[in-house]
Amino acid sequence: MFELFKNLGKWLVSGSSWSGSDGIAHRLAEHLQYSLLATLIAAAIGLPLGLLIGHTGKGAFLAINLSSFGRALPTVGLVVLVFLAGGLSMLPVYVALVALAVPAIVTNTYAGMTAVDPDVKDAARGQGMRGHQILFQVELPLALPLIMTGLRLALIQVVATATIAAYVSFGGLGRYVFDGLAQRDLVQVLGGAVLVAVVAVALDLLLSTLQRLLFRHRAA
Amino acid sequence: MNRRTLLGGLFAAASVPALAACSSGITSLDGSGTTSGGGSGSSKGGVTIGTANFTENQVLGYLYAAVLQQAGVKVKVRPNLGTREIVIPALKGGDIDLLPEYQGALLNYLAPKDNSSEPGTMQNALTLAMPSGLQVLPYGQAADSDCFVVTRATARKYGLTTLADLAKQNGKLVIGAAPEVKKRRVGAIGLKDVYGVEFKEFKSLDSDGPLVKGALKKGDVDVANLFTTDTDIAANDWVVLTDPKNLIPSQHIVPLIADRKADDTVRKALAKLGNVLTTEQLTQLNSQVDNDKKDPEDVANAYAKQHGLA
Amino acid sequence: MTIDWSWIGDHTDDLTSLTISHLQAALTAVFFGLLISLPLAVIAHRIRPLRGFLLGVSNVLFTIPSIAIFVLLLPVSGLTRTTTVIGLTVYTLVVLLRNTVEGLDSVPAKTKEAAKAMGTRPLRALLTVEFPLALPVIMAGVRIATVMSISLVSVATYIGDGGLGQLFTDGFQRDFPTPVIVGVVLTILLAVVADALLVALQYVLTPWRRRRA
Repeated sequence: MFELFKNLGKWLVSGSSWSGSDGIAHRLAEHLQYSLLATLIAAAIGLPLGLLIGHTGKGAFLAINLSSFGRALPTVGLVVLVFLAGGLSMLPVYVALVALAVPAIVTNTYAGMTAVDPDVKDAARGQGMRGHQILFQVELPLALPLIMTGLRLALIQVVATATIAAYVSFGGLGRYVFDGLAQRDLVQVLGGAVLVAVVAVALDLLLSTLQRLLFRHRAA
Repeated sequence: MNRRTLLGGLFAAASVPALAACSSGITSLDGSGTTSGGGSGSSKGGVTIGTANFTENQVLGYLYAAVLQQAGVKVKVRPNLGTREIVIPALKGGDIDLLPEYQGALLNYLAPKDNSSEPGTMQNALTLAMPSGLQVLPYGQAADSDCFVVTRATARKYGLTTLADLAKQNGKLVIGAAPEVKKRRVGAIGLKDVYGVEFKEFKSLDSDGPLVKGALKKGDVDVANLFTTDTDIAANDWVVLTDPKNLIPSQHIVPLIADRKADDTVRKALAKLGNVLTTEQLTQLNSQVDNDKKDPEDVANAYAKQHGLA
Repeated sequence: MTIDWSWIGDHTDDLTSLTISHLQAALTAVFFGLLISLPLAVIAHRIRPLRGFLLGVSNVLFTIPSIAIFVLLLPVSGLTRTTTVIGLTVYTLVVLLRNTVEGLDSVPAKTKEAAKAMGTRPLRALLTVEFPLALPVIMAGVRIATVMSISLVSVATYIGDGGLGQLFTDGFQRDFPTPVIVGVVLTILLAVVADALLVALQYVLTPWRRRRA
């Protein structure tokens, strides 16, 4: 056991592990690219959806239960399916990651919107504000903390799941896990796992600190 | 019924499937599960056959199952377990009992420094290199080797006919193979040592599966590591690079079995199969699974019946 | 991409046994997750300094890719169902711990004080007052853990288990979409049904919430 961690340490600090196309630096960059892009796409889909459902109140059932459905999707199956349909490209990976992230974003955006005090909305309406004005000038700013939480949770989930890119031959930190499995090289597997965890935790800390700074003037 | 009784009842009910699950095994695609080990050198308690993660090995696994069942042995098959690096430890550990293997590749895994290439010599070397508790049974006539292929266009472009020609393009070509091939002698290591070949990049794909073949077709890789029994090679007019220095040994199929399960019934049944199955026939069986989408089990059973083995 | 319906007809036996095996793995993991997380949650809830530590560790565990945990367990328990269940339990444990602590937190302090004032012993108060009141949040955790577990079982196909997940690797190797589609549909169905049953269970277990309506 101790041997394993000692070798892991050696692997992590050795310069040769970091350079080259299979190096940690490159795989890290790939992994971040997949995660950030997938979360961005998911936000582009999920934010408008969540805002719309929260603002109009229609489709609440979808918003509440989408998370359950999203959690039920088997990522392996989804990746394989899109691969068989669309061939060897990053599309299957992005489809699976976006499908995973959208529910978290929609549910949290919707939750943020419903947390807005209805009296505030009434007051705005009383002042003569139109629907979309209420949405963007009243509801959205007030819902922002929960929306940001949704984005943060989605990103962390995607980072942990982006290892699936390696299932269909692509890069990212999942490559270490898969190659390590095939070669029975547990140091590589552990290395990949540790790196993913570190990236996820670091991003989580970064974003939650950012959130706290942005909203520190708001009442708790 | 009050809530407390209901909760207590639920708890009890939940623990039953949980405990049952612990003692049950794994259900495989063919509906079978694992079995516990029997006595020493006896197949009476049943034999668990494991297979690696590529089509041919599964066909072989089910062929073994068919002939053993005919001989009266209780069989379970656990298909698609993973690479040799995963499956052999499982054999040593007792999770499986029998495995279809390949002489050259197995010898390379157990004794990397051994350079034998004749089937007879290799069989002796294998017996010597066996870890305790395992043994190889006589090899069959069918063989399947690794090969390195390029597209007809690539062969023409760089003038490639043998593996030695690859060294002339060092640093320019990309090779695609299963991840474990990077560390194997019949793989990146051997190509470098014996032919002096250095690739621009090694892409981790799969064992003669959709990833490596798709990549070769698309041009994502220049060289692909495939198996000689794959009908796609001829179908796509791919060129197999020849091996003048005999890096790739002949790979007759040989059963690898745990001592505790090796008895005469098993030996006789598997020997009969080994004498009947030819490389041509195995190639056809593989094609039925990959191209006709038939189940490995059905294909194996049909073959066994057809040839009087089951 | 078309579905070969005859394949489905020919394989109903296999599909049934795979589904049962799949469900068994998921439920076992939830069971053991509960078994471990309930006492841990009480500790985290009661002992302030340990709370941060336990929740922190579980958050980090959650970020480890499931395939990695399965592979790292191979030297421990081999290519067996045990490996799959241990791996799954890590994740159910995290979810259940989080939710149970949150549930216990949500019990109003006044209610606990009232129980104490009535002379109820701490253990009895825990079992008859705190847990029942925390039940809605705990059940939400059980639902999440169950659905997540059902989805994660497929990843174990890379270590020779995987229930319905085996349909994915099989379809992938042969360029055959039918088993993959069937596997995805069955997995989702399994999760949706399990979730619905748990909602019904929660309804049955919390009669006082019904009375309010």
